[in-house]
Amino acid sequence: MRQFFPVEDLARDDRFVQTNMAERMADTRTAVDLKKTAKSRGASNRLTPDRHDASDAARSLMHGIMVGEIQALEGAGRTAHDFDAGDGSEGTIPFELKLDMARQAWDEARHVEISAKLSDWMGTEIGQFQENTVLFEAACSNDPVLRLAGVNRALEGLAIDVFTQMKEFGQLADDPFLEFCEDWMLADEVTHVKMGSDWLRRVTENDPDRRAKALEFQQVVDKLFSFGGARGESEESPIGLARRFRELAGFTDDEVDTIAEMDHEALEERKAAVRLAQESAGV
Amino acid sequence: MAGNATSRVQVAPERFSLVKYDAGEIAAVVVELAELIGLSNPISVFVDETTPLAKMSAEVESMSSDAPIVLRLESGALEDTRHLTNFSSERARQRLGRVMLRARDRLRPDFADAPPDLELTNPQNSAWDVYCGGRLERLGIEVPTQRFRYDFRNRFGFSDEVDAVFDRLWASDDLGWHDLPTAT
Repeated sequence: MRQFFPVEDLARDDRFVQTNMAERMADTRTAVDLKKTAKSRGASNRLTPDRHDASDAARSLMHGIMVGEIQALEGAGRTAHDFDAGDGSEGTIPFELKLDMARQAWDEARHVEISAKLSDWMGTEIGQFQENTVLFEAACSNDPVLRLAGVNRALEGLAIDVFTQMKEFGQLADDPFLEFCEDWMLADEVTHVKMGSDWLRRVTENDPDRRAKALEFQQVVDKLFSFGGARGESEESPIGLARRFRELAGFTDDEVDTIAEMDHEALEERKAAVRLAQESAGV
Repeated sequence: MAGNATSRVQVAPERFSLVKYDAGEIAAVVVELAELIGLSNPISVFVDETTPLAKMSAEVESMSSDAPIVLRLESGALEDTRHLTNFSSERARQRLGRVMLRARDRLRPDFADAPPDLELTNPQNSAWDVYCGGRLERLGIEVPTQRFRYDFRNRFGFSDEVDAVFDRLWASDDLGWHDLPTAT
């Protein structure tokens, strides 16, 4: 079977329309009220049921979760398959790491199914929103340690934030299924991040340079996964940073602080870029 | 403002910079819906292209059949969610249809007590949307019922009783403002 699958070759039927970060960031509109004038944009952008567009925003995020789970399944599956079993050096991974990736792929497959059913419950059709393939792109490195950093720590870390937000949404709305499902998936994500943190430490135990490179890669991916500040501690970000669950997954306070700072930078950079583009367009 | 052949419908801006919308195409959808709904008033549509959000409102100056109607929409209301920044005529029919039915309701004396659209509470908005959604469906516009139902449940609760209210509202054709449910 073929190894090292490029993002362009992901298998999707014609319901799906794919996009990437460059295209997403080329959209120079923003939900953040730059001029503080629009009535529809309140002080907080946080995704809660009291937002006037709560159901639409929740549907869009749930679809994003579903395609994210598909890509996480593909990423974990590829890592289990792409590398031979060995001691972790020269493009090999320990056999036990393969088993963990296989277990993760199984979890992600279940999450895809749950998210598809939740989407249906919320009134969303599969493929109704475009699919950003940036998540899988983090799983395309030739170094398995970079994949652990990009997928298990950055991507699954984002999943912790998103699931926490949706779980709270379900709780506040009293949705009998949403909170329950998100809570179960959240527990898996915490486990996936913990697996990534543990394996990253073990595989790079005697190779500090490789570890440093992996953590540097994770920071790059974390900033990308902030989606221009859509995730962050600011009230302008729809998705919060789930500090408590990240802590349970093995992130240190310093690491979470760093992510929070990067999210803030990403938000400010995005606002500046949008402001500039809108001024240039004369709107 | 871009006008259509009948000059009853005006769309602003005439040219869009941040989204790939065409004012004439929007006007054509409004004309088609106005005929379908039975709305003969002059209509002005203002689209805010700086935001991808999808809030809409309708303002009606008086209850007369020639009173100007003003529709204000954020760009997300007309957007193809599969191809962001692109116009979707299907979504435009659903969204504009909804807000135009509200405008038609406001021409009736029994909607005189309805607060302005931007001052409606979330439950009031949701209930009125459901009343519009059911009527749109019966007019032949394809509307995703489950989306309305989920929104209604979010505002009124997840229970069989709430679903029964939704079903009644969806099937109704001749309600007044005070017939719409309010959240307890």
